[in-house]
Amino acid sequence: MPAAPVSPNPASDWCGSVVLAALSLPGLLAAPLPAAADSAPEHALLQFKTEHYQDSQPGFQRIRVEEPALYGLLPLGEHLSLSGSAVYDVVSGASPRSYSSTSGASRVHEKRFSGDAELTWYADRSSYGLSAARSQEHDYISNSVSGDAVFAADDNNTACNVGLSASRDSINPTNDIVENEHRTTYAGIAGVTRALSANDLLQVQAGYSTSHGYLSDPYKLFDNRPRRRNSGTGSLRWNHHIGGLGATLRSSYRVFHDTYGIWSHTAELQWVQPVSLRWVLTPGLRYYTQSAARFYVDPPADGSPFPQLPDGAFSSLDHRLSAFGAFALSQKAEWHLSEHWSTDLRAEYYQARSSFRFIGQGSPGLANFQYYQVQFGISYRF
Amino acid sequence: MQATDDGVTTMRFAAMAGEAELTVAGRAPDRRLLDAAAAEVRRIEQAYSRYRADSIVSRINAAAGSGVAIEVDAETAGLLDFAARLHAQSDGLFDITSGILRRGWDFRSGRLPEPSALAALCARIGWRKVDWQPAARRIALTEPGMELDFGGFGKEYAADRAAAVLQAGGIGSGYVNLGGDLRVLGPRPDGRGWALGIRHPRTDGTLAGVELKSGALATSGDYERYMDIAGRRYCHILDPRSGWPVQHWQSVSVIAPVCLAAGALSTVAMLKGPDAPAFLAAQQVPWLAVDGSGAIVRHGF
Repeated sequence: MPAAPVSPNPASDWCGSVVLAALSLPGLLAAPLPAAADSAPEHALLQFKTEHYQDSQPGFQRIRVEEPALYGLLPLGEHLSLSGSAVYDVVSGASPRSYSSTSGASRVHEKRFSGDAELTWYADRSSYGLSAARSQEHDYISNSVSGDAVFAADDNNTACNVGLSASRDSINPTNDIVENEHRTTYAGIAGVTRALSANDLLQVQAGYSTSHGYLSDPYKLFDNRPRRRNSGTGSLRWNHHIGGLGATLRSSYRVFHDTYGIWSHTAELQWVQPVSLRWVLTPGLRYYTQSAARFYVDPPADGSPFPQLPDGAFSSLDHRLSAFGAFALSQKAEWHLSEHWSTDLRAEYYQARSSFRFIGQGSPGLANFQYYQVQFGISYRF
Repeated sequence: MQATDDGVTTMRFAAMAGEAELTVAGRAPDRRLLDAAAAEVRRIEQAYSRYRADSIVSRINAAAGSGVAIEVDAETAGLLDFAARLHAQSDGLFDITSGILRRGWDFRSGRLPEPSALAALCARIGWRKVDWQPAARRIALTEPGMELDFGGFGKEYAADRAAAVLQAGGIGSGYVNLGGDLRVLGPRPDGRGWALGIRHPRTDGTLAGVELKSGALATSGDYERYMDIAGRRYCHILDPRSGWPVQHWQSVSVIAPVCLAAGALSTVAMLKGPDAPAFLAAQQVPWLAVDGSGAIVRHGF
């Protein structure tokens, strides 16, 4: 009596037509097929995350942020859930510098509180969410509302999502450069997610956002930006499960363009590797490149203190509007301690240089910018 | 329900004309969840039973040849779509109108049916004679005497649905076994797969073992209901074209992500006879079969 001591991995490379036909029936895989609209959560979740962020430029320790956050999710019956989060930031250190010299960085020490609440209604093949958020600093208050909906097709292999949001910000900078200014933003997003096979998930999304009001940075000299900014984004995500390794490769590409004249491209890869029942490791690599805003001005290279600008011209020396490229390396470790408790630790190192850019030009002398970020989270599910 | 020291809880009950087993591990068992999974099996058993006059299958069959189309629920429509695709992909071998052949075969009698009786039954078989309108979710059997029978995959579907109930309740370790059709919920708490045996088609012993962490294993064999006459085995797996039992394989076992697929593929493989290896290769599933001489043929296993 021969034995067959084998251990075939049932998740690998099944794309036979009968298998696909069976998988297209709803309700056979309890973990909702990834493209489907979410079903109502059955467990409450309480999560605490804390983040440490430190950026630097050569010879400098710049902004440091400690960010504790609390997140809660509460199922309310069969079709409804309520979730909310609260973040308390402490920001200390120098504000980002646009010059590469070392003098004159002003120290900032700010506190920011932000919170949001979302109510989600789950129907048979769709879910609808409504949320409100508020963020408050001593000189900046932002209120926003948003709504989103997800619809799954009958075969559960395709899902569409749409979302709309509006925010209204009040700006009262301490330097009184402007007073009681406002900024209003409306944004919309729409996407389609489709399961191509049992192992492949593809998502296409497009977004549009329009802002008007005071869009300049009140704490930067020569910062005078157009009072309207419209932007569009397109993104493509592909998640591929490799059954033999039990791993998932997440890849994404995003393109962005706005009326300031900025184009940007982001490409990201993440490898989600379970190493045991309790441990999951996720290394990641991201590349970003952008062209400069039309009105971006490099810091004067000739040593003169201020750039020469005509009166009233749009201008900004904010390095975030310059042409640059950046790489980010990250590693996340999740540890599922028990059925109720899980914890994760994530670290990211980011470095931006004008020479890393793939598109755009200018700003060869801009100082490099880098940060590292460590996040720790612990969650309790019950 | 019985719990063992290693955190494995098993519940056994009778369903689908056989023994059903729900085994879960890794967390304190919730009796209500196991009851809900058992209730799901019974619900499917009743919904698709030929023996209950109020079942959807009985209503469809009762309207055969009347010209009346019966509207069906979304779940039944999904299963009919699956049956239609399986019929096409098996070149007509998997046909849910072929259940009527059981009237020609009495495996306890020890007698072979009259060829004319089989021919008359075969004339009433044919998925092509079913007017299935998926968009309207309406179905009509166009000839009197035709019958639908979900027995070809009802048990496998029920195993998947019971597993889905348990998984939705947070169970990530265990398996569902409905009369030998197995669906794994997830690996043992220590990460190892579940050791599953495949029954020897001619003895009470085990033919082979396989370790599964997820997915499903189903076996079709010529040993469930059969009679041996003059040294030949006549089993319950009947070819819808001739009305005669399959002869080539003693059993075929298939591993697939869900039990519905594993069961359907193993049944079609039995019907395909010598063409089964090519068919299963095209479906890209691991399989193990025992041929007429008792020799094992396998791929990916």
